[in-house]
Formats: sequence, C-alpha cells, structure tokens
Amino acid sequence: MSPEETESRTAVEELTYKEAQEELEQIVRSLESGTLELEESLTLYERGVTLLRSLKGRLEAAEQKIEVLMGELEPEND
Amino acid sequence: MTAYYAYVDSEAQETGPLSVSAALDIAKVALESITLSIVGEISDLSDNPRYKAVYFTLADEGAALPCLMWRSSFDRLGIQLKSGMKVEVKGRFSLYSAKGRMQFDVRQLTLAGEGQLRAQVAALAAKLKSQGLMDASRKLPLPTLPQTIALVTSPRGKAVHDVLRTLRRRYPLAQVLLFGVGVEGKEAASGLIKALKAAEASEAEVVLLVRGGGSYEDLMPFNDESLAQTIAHLEKPVITGIGHEPDTSIADMVASLRASTPTAAAEAAAPDQDELAAHLAAAEASLASSIKRTLERTRHVLYTLEHSEVFSRDKYLIAEQLLDLEQTAQRLDAAIPTGLQTAATTLGEAQDRMQKTMDNLMQTEVTQCRHLETLLLHKGDVLATPYTTQLATAAARLESLSPLAVLARGYSLSYDSEGRVVRSSKEVAVGDIVRVQLASGAIKTTVTDIEDQ
Repeated sequence: MSPEETESRTAVEELTYKEAQEELEQIVRSLESGTLELEESLTLYERGVTLLRSLKGRLEAAEQKIEVLMGELEPEND
Repeated sequence: MTAYYAYVDSEAQETGPLSVSAALDIAKVALESITLSIVGEISDLSDNPRYKAVYFTLADEGAALPCLMWRSSFDRLGIQLKSGMKVEVKGRFSLYSAKGRMQFDVRQLTLAGEGQLRAQVAALAAKLKSQGLMDASRKLPLPTLPQTIALVTSPRGKAVHDVLRTLRRRYPLAQVLLFGVGVEGKEAASGLIKALKAAEASEAEVVLLVRGGGSYEDLMPFNDESLAQTIAHLEKPVITGIGHEPDTSIADMVASLRASTPTAAAEAAAPDQDELAAHLAAAEASLASSIKRTLERTRHVLYTLEHSEVFSRDKYLIAEQLLDLEQTAQRLDAAIPTGLQTAATTLGEAQDRMQKTMDNLMQTEVTQCRHLETLLLHKGDVLATPYTTQLATAAARLESLSPLAVLARGYSLSYDSEGRVVRSSKEVAVGDIVRVQLASGAIKTTVTDIEDQ
C-alpha cells in the first residue's frame, strides 16, 4: 500500500471489531458486484485480507477482561 | 367473659336452667359485641351469584372459622378471591340461633402477604403502562458487537458468575464492567438505581440487570417505581434476567429486552464467537472467489483484444462501414433498375399500343388517300386533255416565235455592262466588257475594235 492509501483509510488495528467487520462486509459486496476496475479490485482485496487477518486474530486471542466498579466480586464457590 | 358466667350461675340459682333460645341469646349478645381483625388463609370459597353472601372458611394450622361477606360489600372490594389466599378480615361474630351456628360476619377484607403484594404490583404496572413506559417505541435497540458490557447485580451468589462465564464462553472480546449492589431488601432499589446510573455514565454499550431466583417478596425491589422510571429513561439499552420464575417484574416490563434468566440475558447481550468465526470464513471465501473472477474476466478481455481483428487488419476499423456502404449500394442498384425496368416496360408497352393504334389509323387514311389520288389523277387526266392539246398547240407556235429558236439558228444577243441589249456598234466603246448570249451558254467579251457598216 502506498503512503497515500494508508492515510485515507484508518489503520486496521485502530478499528473496533465492529468497524473492521463492517468495512470487510462492504469490501466483499463491492468485489462481488464485479463493477470495479482491476486496480481498484486488487487494492480492495488487499485491504480485505488485512481486515480479515486482524479480525481472526482478535477472535482467537480474546480474553475476557472484567473491571469491578462497584462492590467486591466474590469468587465462585465450588 | 367472666361476667356472663357469673350471671348465668346466679341466674340459675335463682330461676333454674335456661331455655336453649335464652342460652343462645346470651351467647349471641356476647359474641356480636366483639369486633375483631383476623388474618387467615381462605378455603372452601363459595361465590354463587344467586346467594346474597359469599361464604368461605378462614383458617390457620389449628383452627377454622366459617365466614360470610354480604355480596354488596364483597363486590365493592374489586378483589378476585381465591382459595389459598392469605387475607385480613375485619368484622364481628354472628350467631345463627336456629342452627346454633357461629359465623364471622366480614365487613372489610384485604389481601395479606403475597396476594397483597401481587395486587400492588399489578396496579403499579397498569399505571406505568398507561404512562407509556412500556411502549415498544421506547425500547432501545441492542448493539450487535458491543465492546463493553455493564453488569448490574449482586457481587455474591451464583447469578454473577453464571453471567461472566456465559460472556466469556461466547464473546470474550467484550470487556465487562461489574456494578455489584444488593438485590434484596428495602435498600436494594436505591442501590440498583445508583448502579444503573453509573453504568449509563460508563463506556458500556449495553446494561445487564440480573438476579438469581427467590420468593415473590425477595424480588420486590425490582417492582420499585423509581427503579422502573430509571430503567425506562436510561440512555443505554437494558436487558433484564430476574429470577427463574415465569413471573415478570416491573423492571422486566420497562427494559429494552426481558430474558428469562441471568444466563439468557448474557446470551442476548453478546454474539457467539463461533458464529463470528463462521462469518469471517464466509467473507474469506467470498473475497477469494470474487478476486479470482475479476482476474479471470480481465485475462479474458485481454485475450479477446489480442486476438481480435482490430490488431490484425488495419482496414478492420473501417471495414464495417465499407461493408455497410457496399451493401447499401448493392441494394440501391438492385432497387433502381427494377424500378426503371418496370417503367421502361410500361412505357414500351404503351408505345407499342400507341404504334398499333396509329398504324391502324394511318392505314385507313392511307388507303383512303390512295384511292382519292387515283380518282384525282384520272379525273385530272380527263380534265386536262383539251388543255393539254391546246397547250401543245400554243407551245408549238410559241416555240417558233421564241428567241431561243432564233438563237438556235446561230444568232446571239449581246449585253453591255449594264445589261442592255446592244443593237448598234455605237453603244459600245473599245475596251468595254460585252456579254454574248448564245443558244447554249454565254461568253464575256472585250471590244477590241469597232467596225462601221
């Protein structure tokens, strides 16, 4: 990706999961429509792959974070 | 009470034993002067519209009391009495002397315990509903992929861990903010309100309000009016998961979504990560196949262009137009002669017909003419004969007189330059041109000499 292209699009890692997924869906729709020029298609495809990798990575690595803002969480008694 | 016994004792000593009626009268007076409030459970309820009163038994573990309530009073209550209900009645005993039966004449009746609570909750629910707090349009939509989820519940007990576990299993991506407060007792409602407001102020996109199972009284904080107002006006969507009963609390009714249990509430808040993974797999497949299609299409276009006529014959670019032109010309050619041909044929035919007609006409005329000619000639001949004879005679005479005849004998005529006939030599001079007319032809002469006679 050229410097100009990275500027006009937010870095994938800065997007929320939801934003990244929505952009990916949009790219899929655009490519499926088959109305784009070859160069545009390739650029979008690359971006799509980057988004895909990021989303997959986030799903696999996710660990629940709990923040206690009121009260005290008692451990589960087994 | 002691007074009556004393009375009876003394009466008996004075007048002897009482009649049954009298005895019951005494009892009646005694009983009917007492007004009491009694609490007990209803059984044997008999509510027949044909009777003037409603009958039931009020009991506890050790005793049972037959009661009646006049229909007019009963109908005014507006309560649906059911066997098993705990009620509080106010009234007095009454004695039916004829049968020696005692009953409790109920003047007032209210629900006690859970029955009363349920009625209160139902009334509040009706009121809030009429205010529009439960309208579907008020309910906020749930976020599809929340980054942060707020959890308002007791930090102790099973419910909180059920929710955390469910969220972890389904959607560990979301951060959970726990607001742990009491969920039972008189102070619970205000604590829940505080927690909800804090959740609203946080970055959470959705709020889970849950508590584990309990009795109807235990769940009463979730029927609190202020809590209901807080939930209804909260700027973030609330999902409730209260108790395990099929009962619906008022908090359930005003929330954006009601789930039947805390676990169900957690499931409603977050998507399943397996579904998300499947969604990504589908997107991946789609990306791959569409880019492949695009490349194929491009390759095909290039191939077609490469092999097309455009690049192999320079005339190809205008060949089409030439072809067009040629075809048009051919059509034109084909069209015109046919047109003219037709015209020519027609013309020819017309011409022929005209010719024939003319010929026919001419023939008739010619024949006529010839006939007339013949006639004329013959007639002419006949007419001319005497004249011809005369003419011949005159001609002969003329002939003999004609100068031509004279000339024929050798004589000639001479003319001067002015065309006058020369009769004398005196009319000319030497050098003059004289024209001599002979019998045949003429000659031009010049005078060389004049001879006198």
